[in-house]
Amino acid sequence: MAPVMSAGARESRGNRPLSDILAALNQIFADVVDETDIVLKRETTARDVDDWDSLNHIQFIVAIEKYFKIRFTRAEIASWKDVGAMCDAIAGKIGA
Amino acid sequence: MVKAGDRFVEHFEIAPELHSGFIALFGDRHPLHTDLDYAKSLGFESVVVHGNVLCGFLFYFVGECFPEPDVVILSQNVKFPQPVYLNDRLRLDVEVLDVHDSVNVVEIECKFSNAAGKLVASARMNIGMIGGRRSPAT
Repeated sequence: MAPVMSAGARESRGNRPLSDILAALNQIFADVVDETDIVLKRETTARDVDDWDSLNHIQFIVAIEKYFKIRFTRAEIASWKDVGAMCDAIAGKIGA
Repeated sequence: MVKAGDRFVEHFEIAPELHSGFIALFGDRHPLHTDLDYAKSLGFESVVVHGNVLCGFLFYFVGECFPEPDVVILSQNVKFPQPVYLNDRLRLDVEVLDVHDSVNVVEIECKFSNAAGKLVASARMNIGMIGGRRSPAT
């Protein structure tokens, strides 16, 4: 299921605030793990979320790349320390 | 090394022992799959083969035919728009839709068609290459 975004957020995909990116990541991750109660914050790490294992991490990255129509490198992914770093990397690629 | 746009074709036949074997293994004896009169009463030509038999063919393709080593199916989304019957001969067309190099994942689209050329099932699958992707030289 595609992440649910407001019409305004969808229209500003190419120039959206970091809070919108975080909201999108939250929905994408919830879809990946099939868990609606997930709340990701900038400081969240994989260790903070029970379902965030290595396989779900791969699915999460694939879903992010498809949704934002971007590509990461392995080095970029390895450098992320928390969700905030993911948001910043996405923002850098989509020009937010 | 697979890339977006690569295509593959396989052929399968729904042998009666495949149908009976599936029932013996999983116990789904719903009359749609076992009672000819019941199936016909619902408008089907014959008893309908379990859709997940086709999923077995998908697993076979990924494990035995896909040209990458050390694969694992991460996800799949399958649709069954038309029934499949005993002794049907099916053609499986597979296309690589996308490659996510960052995490070694390939997204494929799979389409089963019967002898009449009618689409009977389609699937999207994400395949992880846990050993990395095969280099162009191998």
